[in-house]
Amino acid sequence: MANGKDMIAEAKRSSGAHSCVECGRCVAVCPMAEMYSNFSIEMSPRGVIKKALTGNDIITDENIWYCTECNAGTDVCPQGVSCRDLIRGLREIAIEENIVEDLKHCTRCGRQFVSIPVENFVFERLREEPPNVLDVLELCPSCKREVYMLRNT
Amino acid sequence: MQEQTNEQNNSITLEDLRPRPEEKKTFPDHFMPRLHPGILFDPKKCTGCGTCEMVCSLRNVSKIAPASASIKVLRDEDSVKNFAILCQHCRKPLCIEACPTRAIEKGEDGIVRINKLFCVACGLCTIACPEAAPLQDPITGEINKCDLCDGDPQCVKYCPSGALILTKGKSFRWIKGLRWFVQTISFLLLVVVLIGTFCSLKAGALSLSCPAGVLQNIASSGVVVLVWVLSTFLIIGLTILAGRFFCGWICPFGFFLDLVDKITPKKIGLPSFFKSRMAKYGILIGAVGGSCAFGFQVFCPICPIGSICRSHGAAGTLNGANMGIVAALAGLEVTERRVWCRYFCPVGAILALFAKIGLIKIVIGANQCKKFSCVQCAEVCPMGIIDANKLREGISPEIPMTECITCMRCIDRCPYGAAKIRFRWQKTIPGNIEL
Repeated sequence: MANGKDMIAEAKRSSGAHSCVECGRCVAVCPMAEMYSNFSIEMSPRGVIKKALTGNDIITDENIWYCTECNAGTDVCPQGVSCRDLIRGLREIAIEENIVEDLKHCTRCGRQFVSIPVENFVFERLREEPPNVLDVLELCPSCKREVYMLRNT
Repeated sequence: MQEQTNEQNNSITLEDLRPRPEEKKTFPDHFMPRLHPGILFDPKKCTGCGTCEMVCSLRNVSKIAPASASIKVLRDEDSVKNFAILCQHCRKPLCIEACPTRAIEKGEDGIVRINKLFCVACGLCTIACPEAAPLQDPITGEINKCDLCDGDPQCVKYCPSGALILTKGKSFRWIKGLRWFVQTISFLLLVVVLIGTFCSLKAGALSLSCPAGVLQNIASSGVVVLVWVLSTFLIIGLTILAGRFFCGWICPFGFFLDLVDKITPKKIGLPSFFKSRMAKYGILIGAVGGSCAFGFQVFCPICPIGSICRSHGAAGTLNGANMGIVAALAGLEVTERRVWCRYFCPVGAILALFAKIGLIKIVIGANQCKKFSCVQCAEVCPMGIIDANKLREGISPEIPMTECITCMRCIDRCPYGAAKIRFRWQKTIPGNIEL
């Protein structure tokens, strides 16, 4: 577990989370606010950064799996904190430590390409489409392109 | 709790700032531009050189960096096939639905654009797109999607092999006018001018008969009169040449049903146990067998085509029972289009048998077909034989010529010219059809 703590520290250091001034600009641009009805301060990038800095149970927190990894927060951050890099690092640790893995695997190549809450959001938005259209959501983007190519050449 | 709701009511949401297009009501479905711009890609001509990627990135980021392009060339070394992934500018884009910041818009000109001001590059459009056409730049993380260079695509200009073609859409609108003209003329001829026609008509040496009627006649009387058989040849010859052309272009009852469709645009659907396209063959066999048993043509008196033909004129029998059948079948049109023709018509059944050995076929899904992004042909088909689900999967559907009435609605509706008439022996593997 000590190893895990080191990894968390490394993730915090490399993303620059220590320099967060809690201004909340990342929350203002975060697309999660539009995506989830239960969006809260704990789920927002600021909340995740704060929890990562203060507590040790951030890895088991389900809030790190809602992020779309869009990097909008980094673009506006006055301190240059990369919330995406932090969340990516935390997710990697969570997967390595076998604590929780909330990622969608491509049914064709097996690559993890999107987290389950984000996938559920897309499903929810496209729920009126016919089911065979939704089947393509099971594939990662590069597999989708390849499948489409195979069908059309 | 009360405070919280008040706060929510006062705050400005994304809904107020950037309403969805359907909520804006500026772009309703029927207002869609008829011709859709787009880039057609021909995999047979593509050499995989990647010039399109280079010129596209030159426009996107002002430097040659294929990773920043909005077009991606897939190269398969094993099968030596190249394929370009590019935005199809769908009619109902899934990316617009999925975008959480509503940065994607379909303009009045039919071009789907990403507004860079609002895009946060979350990549949900790539997940929602069936083709994964919005491409994420691996270095900057930005999403690049084709915007057709606002009508003058650089990739089309610089493609050395001509595999990319800009299309503003094709129009075979004249087919629609021609069809309505032919239908009206034949309706007037068969119903008003020539009384009691189609079923049997003698005009000098020319003799015409309904093939189903002749079959029943033979069955009921037990004698084969050569003149009867020969008199069906005109319509059967037409069917072998052009499929069930009669049903789509000439049949007066079909024209009547088309008119009824005009006033009942919304369909409630038919229960599935009704939906057997084999039922019409059953009715044909029943009519012939019944004629054999009872000694008269059992189906002809209630035939809606015959009823509508006999409804006018001096000898016209505008009797209630006959017209009641016509009205009842017209009422069935609220469930599906041309229900009678699809499932029950024995005349259509006998023509279907000849259409099966006919000379032509309808093909949908050439290289021009935008597959999942359009499916207008499936929506417009009166017989409902174009499989929209197949199209949405990116596969060209087979058109059963026994069911196709050759009305050519798919051809006049397709904005890309991908629905075509071909001879039966022409090689047209699905998805890769000779231009």
